[in-house]
Amino acid sequence: MSKEITTRSAAAGDSGAFKKAIGFVGTDNLSLIFALAIMVLLITVVSSWFGLSGGSMFFTWQNLMNSLAQAIVIVGLLSMGESVVIIAGALDISVGSISSVGSVVAASVLIGQGVVGGLHILPTGSVLAAIFAGIVAGMIAGALNGYIVTGLRVNPIIATLGTLAAFAGFAFLLAPGGKPIGVYTVPDFTWLAQGRFLSNWAVPSLDKGHWTGIPVLTVILLFVAVLVHVIMRYTDFGRAIYAIGGNATAARLAGINISRMRIMMYMLSGSIAGLAGVLLTARTTSGNPVNGVGLELQAVTAVFLGGAATTGGKGTIMGTFLAVIMVGVLNNGMNLLGFNTFIQQVALGFLLIAAVAISQWRQARTEHVRTRIAAEG
Amino acid sequence: MTMTATTSLSEESPIRPGTLEVRHLSKEFPNVKALTDVSLDICPGEILAFMGENGAGKSTLLKIINGDYQSDSGTLTMDGKRLSFSSPYAAHKAGIRVIYQEPEIVPGVNVAENIWVGELPKRYGFIDRRRLNEDVRHSLVEYGFENVLPTDLLGDQLSSAQRQLVEIMRALKSGVRVLALDEPTSSLTDEEVERLFALVRRLRDEGIAIIYVSHRIKEILRLCDRVAILRDGRLIAIKPASELTEADIVRLMVGRDLSDVFKRHPSASDHEVLRVDGLNSDWHRNVSFHINAGEVVGFAGIVGAGRTELAKVIFGELPKTGGSVVLDGRSVNIHHPNDAIARGIGFAPEDRKREGLVLMRSVLENTSMAIMRQLSRFHFIRQHLERIVVTDFVEKLRVRTPSLEQEAGKLSGGNQQKVVLARWLAAKPKVLILDEPTRGIDIGAKAEIYHLIDDLANEGLGIMFISSELTEVLGLSDRIYVMQNGRITGELTGTDATEEAVLRLAMSDHLSAAPIMAPTQEDSLK
Repeated sequence: MSKEITTRSAAAGDSGAFKKAIGFVGTDNLSLIFALAIMVLLITVVSSWFGLSGGSMFFTWQNLMNSLAQAIVIVGLLSMGESVVIIAGALDISVGSISSVGSVVAASVLIGQGVVGGLHILPTGSVLAAIFAGIVAGMIAGALNGYIVTGLRVNPIIATLGTLAAFAGFAFLLAPGGKPIGVYTVPDFTWLAQGRFLSNWAVPSLDKGHWTGIPVLTVILLFVAVLVHVIMRYTDFGRAIYAIGGNATAARLAGINISRMRIMMYMLSGSIAGLAGVLLTARTTSGNPVNGVGLELQAVTAVFLGGAATTGGKGTIMGTFLAVIMVGVLNNGMNLLGFNTFIQQVALGFLLIAAVAISQWRQARTEHVRTRIAAEG
Repeated sequence: MTMTATTSLSEESPIRPGTLEVRHLSKEFPNVKALTDVSLDICPGEILAFMGENGAGKSTLLKIINGDYQSDSGTLTMDGKRLSFSSPYAAHKAGIRVIYQEPEIVPGVNVAENIWVGELPKRYGFIDRRRLNEDVRHSLVEYGFENVLPTDLLGDQLSSAQRQLVEIMRALKSGVRVLALDEPTSSLTDEEVERLFALVRRLRDEGIAIIYVSHRIKEILRLCDRVAILRDGRLIAIKPASELTEADIVRLMVGRDLSDVFKRHPSASDHEVLRVDGLNSDWHRNVSFHINAGEVVGFAGIVGAGRTELAKVIFGELPKTGGSVVLDGRSVNIHHPNDAIARGIGFAPEDRKREGLVLMRSVLENTSMAIMRQLSRFHFIRQHLERIVVTDFVEKLRVRTPSLEQEAGKLSGGNQQKVVLARWLAAKPKVLILDEPTRGIDIGAKAEIYHLIDDLANEGLGIMFISSELTEVLGLSDRIYVMQNGRITGELTGTDATEEAVLRLAMSDHLSAAPIMAPTQEDSLK
């Protein structure tokens, strides 16, 4: 009898931990984990049935750490800022261009060339100054977005479509003669992209290939993700963003200063895009005005895939993070299996549409539940 | 009550051709019986008035006749044929037209095309402009409107009166047999009203059956042949206008016993918490009033009198152009709801789904929304404290919710309203503005909210209580201001505060000579 009790309590303990894990991920995000698992299964197992080799490379430290974990960082960062904006019911499609500006500004300050670096306000050659300059450039760009949306009352899509073009051009203007600024001469800076943490940890090898250490880039992404998660979940700003996205009129009548929150949110999104630009410079070893081109599409896709509502008011950083991994796995898997980049582009485009379609279907369903409950009184 | 109706109906037989026979119409919405067993005849060559308080069932009845709504039971018959409309278009084809306050006009095209919209005369596949213009001019001359309604004006250049004319012309062109006008004079000048009356009388004499819906008793008595009075979705009386006086109509419209759900323990003090002096805005002219601590002050009036806008101007949601607001003895300048909340004003808006709640967020978040600043330290929400405070008010108001994490949108109407109230109680205001706090909620929840209002006043809150339901304004208020056309037309206390007195002040016609041209709220927010 006593045995029975112990097993029962052990089982209870198990389900408790399980419940905790679900609580941490969020029930809404379980489907994402499920989809991710299916995707990994398709890449590693199912593909081999069709004679596609390469899937077996998926579970190697080389692939997981060097290809996957690094590849998702830039889009991952952009989608963290984008999540905040989309949850507030707006959109920021200028993030790619902002990261181009951040990329050029960081390189410019680091090398002392170009418009910003030529001013010599910040010390040339300082890695910290370069990072700082890139983030501040993004923040200023974000503040401009915020002003256009709140002060000039331009629809967010139009406003950031305009600045998408404007900032892209501006990135060229900041570069000397519109040419990229090489930074490979500053190894301290390129360490941001090439560095590894914990590379001498004794982690058992996977299948083929040994432990490679955790890329610095990935650690930065995790840090920003946790930061934004905390902001959205535990601060009054985060609450206000959810409220504005859910119902701006009600939020204003409850005393929330909507304009200020919107400007702050665009500044946050811009700062993160600026940081992404800095890291792009480190990864490509040059401050290139085309560095950020087209990244906004992947960022927006990840946010909607992560379960954010198109109308705003709903969405989590955890969801976006899982979706970023999913987009990364999709690209990575297609690379491994030998699909070319054009096919990847097509797939990504349809993924965005599918993500929004699913989100719309979810909204329609909750709407249905709401009206039914209202009718029952 | 329906007995009265049936008796007077039997006097009407035998039925003339072209009579629209309404029999036993009922319509129910969630929680509301909008219409219960209404039977009446709308005869050709007569003007029949529909009267009743807000929510009495007039517009539901109109909408069923127009095919906007389908009745749950009952029939519409004309010339022995059962009518059943799936849409307004079907009603139009059967010769029935309802002309609402703001008719739909195509903004970018001229009057002639607007009148012919949907069936423009064609020639070789193109619009036959000559025929169009000739035809429209001809009919305008016939009714004497050629100077009032130039055919080449564009839709968005038309005044309210001109829009109505376009709509009436549309109806006439398609051979209308039953024409209903919903509050047609509410935005017309005196001269325009006279012209409209002349037209309506002429149409009656041509054998069209006319339904005339209005709040303006004097107009009704002047114009209409018979008056149908609705209350709580039932037909209370239908009588020739010549047998009715203004007082009769008012009594029939409201004649309801004050139910004992209103228990108000007078608690008004001498301390003034809110004083508004000479307030002017786009919606208001020279509005002055005051509210004392512990006092429930009712604001009565018909919809559109400017009460909701007054609340919003005071709360900083809409701009004021002049006058002063004194809160607790101190003159205050409020530009944003944020300022108002910081000074101790709370505002539960009329439309809780659109303006009150963030439906997709939780009860917890909705309740603590106005006190985020107090709950946070260095912008971090003290979540434990938040939970304690919210639980306290949710329990105090007896909000029925499975958990604090429940989406506000998944609660019933009454519980949603309680969440809004909980939010404001948590903010500990000195003045609480309640705009139609019982609209659309069931009677049980209503009683709870009445009780709560009484409690809050007893605790020393000054309450501005806006309501279009006369019974609750009278039953709950210590003092009543009546508004009309953006002005306060009277203040009633004690035994002076009767339904008749309120209605007279709210609808008195002598003020309609100079209506304020108020922009709609949406326009000014743009």
